[in-house]
Amino acid sequence: MSENPILRVRNLKTYFDVTKGLFAQKQIVKAVDDVSFDVMPNETFGLVGESGCGKTTLGRTIVKLYEPAGGSIEFEGRDIAKLKGKELISFRKDMQMIFQDPYASLNPRMTVGEIVKEPMIIHNIYANDQEREDRVVELLKIVGLKPDHIRRYPAEFSGGQRQRIGIARALAVNPKFIVCDEPISALDVSIQAQVVNLLESIQKEMGLSYLFIAHDLSMVKHISDKIGVMYLGHMVEMGDSNDVYHSPLHPYTTALLSAIPIPDPDIAKSKARIVLGGEIPSPINPPAGCPFSTRCPKATERCHKETPKPIQVGNRIVSCMLYEK
Amino acid sequence: MVKAVRDVSFHVDQGEALGIVGESGSGKSQTMYSIIGLLADNGIATADKVVFDGQDITPGKTDKQTYEKKMGELRGNTMAMIFQDPMTFLNPILKIGKQLTEPIKNHMHVSESEARTRALRLMEQVGIPSPEKRIDQYPFEFSGGMRQRIVIAIALANAPKLVIADEPTTALDVTIQAQVLELIDELKTNSNSAIIMISHDLGVVAKLCDRIAIMYGGKIVEIGTDREVFYEAKHPYTQGLLNCVANPEDDEDKPLEPIAGSPPDLLNPPKGCPFVDRCTKAMRICKDRAPEVTTFSDTHQCACWLLHSKAVTK
Repeated sequence: MSENPILRVRNLKTYFDVTKGLFAQKQIVKAVDDVSFDVMPNETFGLVGESGCGKTTLGRTIVKLYEPAGGSIEFEGRDIAKLKGKELISFRKDMQMIFQDPYASLNPRMTVGEIVKEPMIIHNIYANDQEREDRVVELLKIVGLKPDHIRRYPAEFSGGQRQRIGIARALAVNPKFIVCDEPISALDVSIQAQVVNLLESIQKEMGLSYLFIAHDLSMVKHISDKIGVMYLGHMVEMGDSNDVYHSPLHPYTTALLSAIPIPDPDIAKSKARIVLGGEIPSPINPPAGCPFSTRCPKATERCHKETPKPIQVGNRIVSCMLYEK
Repeated sequence: MVKAVRDVSFHVDQGEALGIVGESGSGKSQTMYSIIGLLADNGIATADKVVFDGQDITPGKTDKQTYEKKMGELRGNTMAMIFQDPMTFLNPILKIGKQLTEPIKNHMHVSESEARTRALRLMEQVGIPSPEKRIDQYPFEFSGGMRQRIVIAIALANAPKLVIADEPTTALDVTIQAQVLELIDELKTNSNSAIIMISHDLGVVAKLCDRIAIMYGGKIVEIGTDREVFYEAKHPYTQGLLNCVANPEDDEDKPLEPIAGSPPDLLNPPKGCPFVDRCTKAMRICKDRAPEVTTFSDTHQCACWLLHSKAVTK
């Protein structure tokens, strides 16, 4: 417990201005609203939620692709908003990202060798081209590709192989932290397992931390040590992955878990599902009070008025008034 | 020439849901498109026999015009389809009400106002909030989950004998997916429709289907009841598939066992078993000859040489 987190996020807010027209009323999407969490070294933090809940925006804000509207992100004890010059470059090296779409995230006109080498050149981490080339070959082996793939173009690879190229590129600069944004959603089941196992073995060998973003709860539970559940820009529940899965506290987590289709006919057909009425509200006009109050089966009048504060319950953090003392 | 579907046979009963599971390119969608006559223009389907509700609808038996006329009458009438993207089905420039009342008027021969009342009831049934207001809106004003529910409402209007659902929930979030799956299940119980559910998600078929066919490389490699396929899987591919999905109910997060390699190229399909290159138990015969089908029960069949009566098991 004495260990310091590698990533410390406090009250993070990322807003987008979506106002259309000069005189129109200002419209703000609060994609991430007041989110706090820690990721420890060597740990996988899984982030789940449905489309539009802000999980991808959160990931992108952490790698500094978006400017936060408020709150702080500390990486290894330093506030990343204040990083400049050399420090910023070194942060970029330590923090890498793997993207969802293995087709859009690789330049079709570059060979695999060039793609994996590019970050090494930018960060100037090897003395000469021969050393870089050697490292590329080594990385290709680590991710399960062949050394002679180095001269080929992305178009010659399948989705799963492309995702491996993306992983090799992320590993090229020996990062400490990788944000994996839905890295397996575009892949077939048998290939998903290959990529998940690869990410796990790389973590074991290199001592990396992951922020693993996905909507597939079964895979997130499998790969993560801790899970954070997001709804409409808010982190509604957070804790050890087995705890969250087996005894969810927040009514949204409970409903979300009950909706997972389990690949086992006896369980799947007998499992009772909690019916959530309605749709996810628009983040432009989020409901007053608790973001989940419009669909929550346990909502009281107070839930529609006050926004719940994060409460510590055991070693879990939950934002729900049901747990107030 | 891509040989997408190669020698596939199966049946589905009334009030029964058959799941067709396979990875991308395994031929699961093309199998259904061949049956309902929706293949792309460069596609050719042939079959010994396709019978639907007592009618012969074998592709390639009659001339193209007669065949397409017949299929046109069946589709959207006694045969309903639900696609992954509901917008392939809904007309973007027609109001939802028009798209719902049209099939009701055509098939039940009721007045405009009666059709509207029925349409409102259907919308309520599939869980569309404030149908009175929603009925006069256009598809773009609906979310993905609601559009899919409208497609199901249109299907419900005709009480079809067969519903073919091609990855109907793949584009939806889990909580919305659960709502849509429940509606399809109601179609089965209430209208006694036969359901063919095409999916890559083993969880979805486990929830909805009574029988499951596993496709690989354009062939059905195993078919059986849900319990036979999940608990007594015979084919190495089925076993492999089950081992590489994470079951969140298992607490020991045992490592996943992926299937090495990738699916075969169907431009030049393998002569023998389609799975031979990725199978850890492959024998010489698997490369040379397509495996014969072994029967385990009235419902459970599997095409694998390992299971052949003459195979020597150690």
